[in-house]
Amino acid sequence: MAMAVNCATSSSLLLTKPSNKPSLKKTPFVGFSLPAAPKPSIQLNRVSKICCQEKTALVPAGQQWMFDDITGPDVWNKTWYPKAADHINTDKPWYIVDATDKILGRLASTIAIHIRGKNLATYTPSVDMGAFVIVVNAEKVAVSGKKRTQKLYRRHSGRPGGMTVETFDQLQKRIPERIIEHAVRGMLPKGRLGRSLFTHLKVYTGPDHPHEAQKPVELPIRDKRIQKQT
Amino acid sequence: MNKKEVFKLAKGFRGRAKNCIRIARERVEKALQYSYRDRRNKKRDMRSLWIQRINAGTRQHGVNYGNFMHGLVKENIQLNRKVLSEISMHEPYSFKALVDISRNAFPGNKPAISPKKEGLAILI
Repeated sequence: MAMAVNCATSSSLLLTKPSNKPSLKKTPFVGFSLPAAPKPSIQLNRVSKICCQEKTALVPAGQQWMFDDITGPDVWNKTWYPKAADHINTDKPWYIVDATDKILGRLASTIAIHIRGKNLATYTPSVDMGAFVIVVNAEKVAVSGKKRTQKLYRRHSGRPGGMTVETFDQLQKRIPERIIEHAVRGMLPKGRLGRSLFTHLKVYTGPDHPHEAQKPVELPIRDKRIQKQT
Repeated sequence: MNKKEVFKLAKGFRGRAKNCIRIARERVEKALQYSYRDRRNKKRDMRSLWIQRINAGTRQHGVNYGNFMHGLVKENIQLNRKVLSEISMHEPYSFKALVDISRNAFPGNKPAISPKKEGLAILI
């Protein structure tokens, strides 16, 4: 990205009276006295005036190179906000992770971070900057302790007496993908953006997935305790 | 203020709040209160966003935000968080240099797991 610096930075010298111009012959950056050169007319005028975004400033000659391109927007003084071209879905990376013998919560946390885009320096909370994640072998995900028989999944239909309770085991036999989806959904933000982020998660039972055309890359996992200790 | 001013400020509000004076007056008062509060909150939110961005940028190089800032303080680099977040987004090589300075000043972070890079990308 072009560094378009405008004259609001502290390195420029702002003056209101044009009569002060000759006194700026010796700028703070030109610490040594100028030798008697054959062209006094240029030395007397070692400051030049630049005009940017309806403001004018006087710039010493040595710093002229910094202000060559001041036609663009101010990159340094305004916090960057992504434009539509910065988050096109077709250009986002795709990651793939094998859930075999990985601890459920730790896996879901890493997935949620990548889907939300929190690992990128261009992270913006109001915009979907994250990547897509494919999870395969979802039925082989592991939990520690007695959670396999004791962890409960509840859902309520809305009518009185309509609560259904299932254990981890039963749900894994019935719909294995829902376990990882439930875990990741709980870690994504709740709201319109969170719901659209959730659609970037693709969970599959078994080792196959229909997204070969997106050329998914291995998801980089930094958690050391994610692999189940056998 | 009179009704004309209230309706001018109530543009874009939902439902009757933009049309009916009694409701619009309440909503406009609330909106002005929110804008007063949020002029102060905006400064906090922006700083928090810069910190999150710097954190993400440094973690790509294996250093977390806390250690990074401590290293910069030790080296007396007084760049503020706004500028650091812009550098981390737009000037990756300079940012890597800053992270290396900080890591040398205050060691104790492991290098990040990064995919294999070829050519000039090794420099990042």
